Amino acid sequence: MADLALIRHVPLIGGNKTLADVTRDVCRPLETGPTKLWYVSFLAAFSALAIGSVAVAYQIATGVGTWGLNRTVGWAFDITCFVFWVGIGHAGTLISAILFLLRQRWRTSVNRSAEAMTIFAVMCAGIFPIIHTGRPWLAYWLFPYPNFRGPLWVNFRSPLVWDCFAIGTYFTISLVFWYVGLMPDLATVRDRLKSGFRQKLASVMSLGWNGSFRTWHRYESVYLMLAGLATPLVLSVHTIVSWDFATGVIPGWHATIFPPYFVAGAIFSGVAMVLTLLLVARKTMRLEEYITIRHIDVMCKLLLLTSGIVAIAYVTEFFTALYSTNPYEEFAFLNRAFGPMGWTYGIMVSCNVLIPQLLWFKRVRQSPWIIFPITLLVNVGMWFERFVIIVTSLHRDFLPSSWSSYYPTPIEIGMLIGSFGLFFTCFLIFCRILPVIAMAEVKGVLSPAHPSAPDREGTSIPATGSEAALMPSGVRS
Amino acid sequence: MGRDKPSRYWKSWEQGPGASELIQISTNEFPEPLDRPPSQFSRRSFLKAAGFTAAVAATVGCSRAPVEKAIPYLVQPEEIVPGVSYFYASGCGGCSAGCGVLVKTRDGRPIKLEGNPEHPLSHGGLCAAGQASLLSLYDSQRVKEPLIGGKPASWQEADRRITEQLASIRASRGPVRFLSGTITSPTLNAEIQRFLATFPDAGHVTYDALSSSAILDAHQETHGARLLPHYRFDLADVVVSFDADFLGTWISPVEFTHGYRSNRLNESAAPKMSYHAQFESRLSITGAKADQRVRVAPDELPSAVSRLAVSIARLAGIASPVPDSGTGNPPDAILETLAQRLWEARPNSLVVSGSQDRRAQVLVNFINQALGNYGATLEIERPSLQKSGSDRELQALVDELQKGQVAALFILGANPVYDLPNGSAIADGISKTRLVVSFSGQLDETASASRFVCPDHDALESWGDAEPVRGTLTLYQPAIRPLTNTRPVLESLAAWRGQPRSAYDTLREYWRTEVFPKRQSRDGNGAGAAGADFQSFWDASVEAGIAQIKTASTTHPFRGAAVAAPAAAGALSADEFSLVLYPKVALGDGRHAHNPWLQELPDPISKITWDNYASVSPAAATRLGLKEGDVVRLELQSRDREGAGAQTIELPSFIQPGQHDAVVSVALGYGRKGTERFSTVGPKWIFGRSGVNEEGRVGKNAAPLLEFTDGSLQYSGSGIRLTKTGRQYSLASTQSHHTLTIPKNIPLVGGDTREIVHELTVAELVEKVHAAATAPPPPELPKRRFPEVPMNGMWKDDHPYTGHRWAIGVDLTACTGCGACVVACQAENNIPVVGKDEVLRHREMHWIRIDRYYSGEEDVEVVHQPMMCQQCDNAPCETVCPVLATVHSAEGLNQQIYNRCVGTRYCANNCPYKTRRFNWFNYARNDKFQNLALNPDVTVRSRGVMEKCTFCVQRIEAARIESRRHGAAKIADGQVQTACQQSCPAQAIVFGDLNDPNSRIAQMARNPRRFAVLEEFNFRPAVNYLAVVRNRESEITKEAKAHG
Repeated sequence: MADLALIRHVPLIGGNKTLADVTRDVCRPLETGPTKLWYVSFLAAFSALAIGSVAVAYQIATGVGTWGLNRTVGWAFDITCFVFWVGIGHAGTLISAILFLLRQRWRTSVNRSAEAMTIFAVMCAGIFPIIHTGRPWLAYWLFPYPNFRGPLWVNFRSPLVWDCFAIGTYFTISLVFWYVGLMPDLATVRDRLKSGFRQKLASVMSLGWNGSFRTWHRYESVYLMLAGLATPLVLSVHTIVSWDFATGVIPGWHATIFPPYFVAGAIFSGVAMVLTLLLVARKTMRLEEYITIRHIDVMCKLLLLTSGIVAIAYVTEFFTALYSTNPYEEFAFLNRAFGPMGWTYGIMVSCNVLIPQLLWFKRVRQSPWIIFPITLLVNVGMWFERFVIIVTSLHRDFLPSSWSSYYPTPIEIGMLIGSFGLFFTCFLIFCRILPVIAMAEVKGVLSPAHPSAPDREGTSIPATGSEAALMPSGVRS
Repeated sequence: MGRDKPSRYWKSWEQGPGASELIQISTNEFPEPLDRPPSQFSRRSFLKAAGFTAAVAATVGCSRAPVEKAIPYLVQPEEIVPGVSYFYASGCGGCSAGCGVLVKTRDGRPIKLEGNPEHPLSHGGLCAAGQASLLSLYDSQRVKEPLIGGKPASWQEADRRITEQLASIRASRGPVRFLSGTITSPTLNAEIQRFLATFPDAGHVTYDALSSSAILDAHQETHGARLLPHYRFDLADVVVSFDADFLGTWISPVEFTHGYRSNRLNESAAPKMSYHAQFESRLSITGAKADQRVRVAPDELPSAVSRLAVSIARLAGIASPVPDSGTGNPPDAILETLAQRLWEARPNSLVVSGSQDRRAQVLVNFINQALGNYGATLEIERPSLQKSGSDRELQALVDELQKGQVAALFILGANPVYDLPNGSAIADGISKTRLVVSFSGQLDETASASRFVCPDHDALESWGDAEPVRGTLTLYQPAIRPLTNTRPVLESLAAWRGQPRSAYDTLREYWRTEVFPKRQSRDGNGAGAAGADFQSFWDASVEAGIAQIKTASTTHPFRGAAVAAPAAAGALSADEFSLVLYPKVALGDGRHAHNPWLQELPDPISKITWDNYASVSPAAATRLGLKEGDVVRLELQSRDREGAGAQTIELPSFIQPGQHDAVVSVALGYGRKGTERFSTVGPKWIFGRSGVNEEGRVGKNAAPLLEFTDGSLQYSGSGIRLTKTGRQYSLASTQSHHTLTIPKNIPLVGGDTREIVHELTVAELVEKVHAAATAPPPPELPKRRFPEVPMNGMWKDDHPYTGHRWAIGVDLTACTGCGACVVACQAENNIPVVGKDEVLRHREMHWIRIDRYYSGEEDVEVVHQPMMCQQCDNAPCETVCPVLATVHSAEGLNQQIYNRCVGTRYCANNCPYKTRRFNWFNYARNDKFQNLALNPDVTVRSRGVMEKCTFCVQRIEAARIESRRHGAAKIADGQVQTACQQSCPAQAIVFGDLNDPNSRIAQMARNPRRFAVLEEFNFRPAVNYLAVVRNRESEITKEAKAHG
């Protein structure tokens, strides 16, 4: 509870904000026209999405042969991107659920966008298992739905089926969690708007929120329960994704370390992505006072921690392989590092292990202009980590006669660009139509030196939030 | 028009009855209709068309495929049951070896060729080219009708014009020449003789693009008869081959492979093995099987032969006909021990040479004579007729042609413009000839230079016969009505002779008069069994596809005087390489170059498809600074061709371990006209690349580098200069890592070797057999596939195989890697051709592949390992498929359900053997006509689904139906033969039921040589391999000897 002591002295939100300031600041982007910067970013993101759509449409029309895969390497960019995006999604749930349960109150400024990011990332991820199939129009066969094909069911032993459940559950819970958290803020938006379609929509979406004690009470209970439900998912989703590989027989895949290794990696990449987005958002949307250097500092520490876990996993993997005396296993790992695709392993280790070590320095942790490239590189590294696991294990497996290589085609690169396009397009739209910061929660962590002032703007939201409700009474006032 | 028609008077002829239209125009004020603008396409018709198009697009787009009505036979022919396959015995038209085939027809069309197991030469084997010749029948670019000057004409027209010209030639006593490849058909030879006899000056010149002329010429000198001995590898205990690739491409590889294999390893209580030494300059599949392989440059070969002759003469106690030429490569010690071995094994030893040096061949004859092999392993009383070409006669004809002295030239089964060194000169000569008639079914280089093309039937459409070895006849019967307007040569010649008769009648007449009187039962017991009257003899022969006849016994005494020392080869200068031109197993002399199955068949050694290349040894490549794919210019400074400048071709280089360092080898048979079609083979998509080279063809023709020396075509020994051009060219190989050894640059494990293929020496095998014999016998046939590996998995063995339990065994000692199984599988299982670009992307679709591994550094050893789906009991593919598209059958088969597959490729990733193949695209068959060759029993896979070897499940089911029909409870052993097994000339593959303790496969599983690949992982594959055995001392005994 050292953080609580800290909170008492150092405000989480800077700039001596009043409650009304919070509402005004957060709602400003919703009520004014988009900035030039937004237009430029949106154009870029949407173009990327368009490129990806064309690439995927062409691939679906022509065949998976438009990718660089071959008889030996059956997965590459497709499943790499899938695992990558699922991993990105992890930070959202971590921040909103686990940190919520752990009373990490600094999360309030970042949880909304982190959760949005989760949802968009899982959307991106969900596309790949569908389009990677040879006959995507039949991809729904992966779900165990009642059918007329006799007693034909899915193969419950296949990790791909588990994936469907894991991703489906994760997406659903994340979406519900996010939506529930949005409700008080939607009500604020509703009240600020006078009329029109948006007002009606916000009215419907806020489910008749009236700010009463009962509303708040139920809201808090649901939120707490959802947080509890979502927490195991943070661990389970990537564990299950890792089973795609761990249950395989291919040396380099068949490893018991995969579940914790993947979860740590996922949180690592997710936190990096949250940081990337926040650094951009606080600058472009003038939210420096809400997303302070302190937030960034804490996130960097999390990044450093997960980088360490990932580094231990890399070492353990190597050690296990060499200690196993299984020649295929030994070769798989040595080939990863020293084989023809060793450069990918080099990128992975330098981006995921070496570069994050800079974050030991406080000065680095507090300089957004240094952190920003680090977070980008971490995600490059994490993308390559999945590529290394998938491709370098496959390309030289048991029989040397079948050893092969892999080169992506422009279609695959287009697909990769497109997935980023989809992600950022969604995120930019989110920035425009929904409050990017959980107003209700932030109001709960405003500096105690500025107790709730009279609400000049006339919102119906009391100066409390879920966090506040959970806080010991001493902290509240 | 009014009802009342007044008489119409006309003013002038233009307006009269001859010009009704004119009148109409003149009476019509507006010649164009007024209701629409004077354009072709009115708005109304545009709207109509647009509406129609939209409607059609909508309806077509909604339905998956148009409904096609199958029309049943109205009156069903008695002998045809739709959906049931029939087999007709016939012969193979792929080359001049004359193997017997069974043509599998379904609903009146041939869909597969199988070797005829009763054929006395091929014994049921059929090579890759033979298997693929089926596709040539359905080639849409065949010449479909007679052509005159390149324009289609009728047979009457062609006959009329040819007979007219022939009459005038006959009158003017013009020379008529018939040029052909070796013709083994006695009926056709007789007909050609009858035809030529109608001319005062006529001659039949035979040549082979892959010539064995020197052997025939040598026998002319030593035995007084121009003949090719019938080599009996089945009787040879010691085989020494000087550059003869008898298992791959030399004379009759299927027959030789069977013979070689049958005497190779005798696995009795005391295993015994034949001994095979190979001296060769490039690495052939024959060399790959040898117990001792010595790399010898072409110019060292004659001296090697003569040194062996000296040693043999010394052992035989006869005067050596050649002086002892000292030492050199190969080392004397090797030749000495070899001479000793040959001598001890006599007369069951055999020395063969593929050399085109007549004097070297004479020496080989001397060696075989001194060893007493004539009459034992070389039969000259019943010689082989598979190669009868004479390069001397060919050279004379070429001279005549160039001088314009020939009046009429008939060309059958030969493509001299392409496959001779001076092709353009021959084309020039052809243009000077008054009448040139080609019988080619393909518009090849020679046919397109010929004025008349009178296409012959495909072998599968025609009656015919062949006598590949004197006294052994193959009878060809048509398996389909001619698909196009072609005519058998027999009929064409008869028609031009003025006595038209059908090919069937001619053939029958010949057999009645020439074959029937000499008939012999097939086991050689006299005439009784073969039918008393001609009709029953004929019926029996047609049914069996073979007949044996008595031959007049002739003796050919050896004339020692002819033996002389071979000429010393001209020394090559230091910067020159010795050129070796060789045929590839798939393409041979190039006559099958239009066949996509063969183009995509990986070379057994280099594993490259769709190209030829200049192979150099690794040492030479280092010296020249060459990397694989660097385009090099090959420059042949012609020695004896007057005036001709340097011949050059540019080819990509390939680094071939096991090749002699001073040799560059290039495959013949590439760069054929007609391979332009392969520019579009394979899937069409934006980054798809063309499958042909910058000349628009597949590979390049190396025939211009051939030389005529000393009366024979020389395939090796010419000096050649290599220069780098700096360009790059991608070669599509199906294997990118060539050893079982981990690359050196991987630390810690670099240099380790994987135990994928087991190898033994005979001594080790003897020990194993002894150990197995003394060990207590296993109590019963074990439930598991691996009796000797106590492997405990996590799961209970609660899925016993109570009925059949299918398994395959592959004897790696027998397997030569020839690739016959690959094409057989492709034909049986409707496997698409994917094209060079897809092979470059490692997406070949073959269900069975032959892995080739090298070991050693300079003098590499080669093993071949056919690899197909291993149908594992603990199949890693089965657990990971999310939709249960691959499941295990109660008989041990790992089944792939195409219509359930969504194509996640998880199974392929998880397959430790990487035998699964994915349909990356809709691999449309380029030549729609060739879809007629599809096997209706096997689904044609669409894009996005996984496929793999099924152990020919359709054949298992057919056999099951058949056994049930006969009331049998189980399928008998041998009743099911997989396509790969059926085709294998070495009979290396065995398929059967492991639960039947007496089946061949169960016996094979008990063989001490048995191993399975990656056995230690407990996948429990159903494919059992038998270790490679080589007849040599084990390393341990060798060391012991060295110390002792």
